[in-house]
Amino acid sequence: MILLSSLLDDAGNRLRFQLELEFVQCLANPNYLNFLAQRGYFKDKAFVNYLKYLLYWKEPEYAKYLKYPQCLHMLELLQYEHFRKELVNAQCAKFIDEQQILHWQHYSRKRMRLQQALAEQQQQNNTSGK
Amino acid sequence: MLAISRNQKLLQSGEENQVLELLIHRDGEFQELMKLALNQGKIHHEMQVLEKEVEKRDSDIQQLQKQLKEAEQILATAVYQAKEKLKSIEKARKGAISSEEIIKYAHRISASNAVCAPLTWVPGDPRRPYPTDLEMRSGLLGQMNNPSTNGVNGHLPGDALAAGRLPDVLAPQYPWQASDMAMSMLPPNHSHDFLLEPPGHNKENEDDVEVMSTDSSSSSSDSD
Repeated sequence: MILLSSLLDDAGNRLRFQLELEFVQCLANPNYLNFLAQRGYFKDKAFVNYLKYLLYWKEPEYAKYLKYPQCLHMLELLQYEHFRKELVNAQCAKFIDEQQILHWQHYSRKRMRLQQALAEQQQQNNTSGK
Repeated sequence: MLAISRNQKLLQSGEENQVLELLIHRDGEFQELMKLALNQGKIHHEMQVLEKEVEKRDSDIQQLQKQLKEAEQILATAVYQAKEKLKSIEKARKGAISSEEIIKYAHRISASNAVCAPLTWVPGDPRRPYPTDLEMRSGLLGQMNNPSTNGVNGHLPGDALAAGRLPDVLAPQYPWQASDMAMSMLPPNHSHDFLLEPPGHNKENEDDVEVMSTDSSSSSSDSD
């Protein structure tokens, strides 16, 4: 059981670090953001202040623990009220999701294209060599 | 006629003297005026010469002024650029990170497919560039709301995510949740109430958070 008083001591702080690390990375998930928006978390002043507080993850000494660095971009966007309001729409979340996945595939597509180009070149060399 | 002419002669001799004196007088005045005119002419000439000098000096001064202005502008630009350079040097020094760390970090985020899709990815593959539902629930946050741990509603609003339906997962399975390095890190200190207005960070209001948690416990957290 996590004692509220333990938040004040070192172990509590370390725990809080891990929790905040997890939470901030969850923000990279647009579906989760949609979930939060629909349940009205973004309207809560305390939550908005918390999001502002979470900006400390942008510092390099903290950022190096992030596995999903896209969450920082989402965190920055979440500082804007307009964005928070838009996230209530499922289509908005879906759009962001699609764009994220497309961007995610960018490098693999690029690599595939390069490989294809290389393969074609090799073929040409072979045929011209013959 | 003689009588008249004699009178005229008499008159004339008297008058002649007068006229002559007048004439001499006038001539004298005239001579003086001539001298005066000559002097004035000389003075006027000198004035013109001086005016020309003044004009020349004026134009010199203007020229100097122009040059000084140009010099000032050039110097101002140079100073400004130097300041900008200094600023960027300072910025670069502040952000200096060892290349080794950057490479290590690059490895971490690429190896786990967090920023680059796996080469065999096809639509339908559950992997995503963000933590998925399953990963979120099996993390520390998700576990905190596990009712089997005696219902401590966590102090973070994110716990609301998985209230009520959690697998009984133990230690973090995913490297994004915690690592050995992370164990020694501490978050920035803040007193815990986020309800109060910033400036400065505020305390989280635990009561408020509990309310939020219970609100969300009803619906499912499937957000797809």
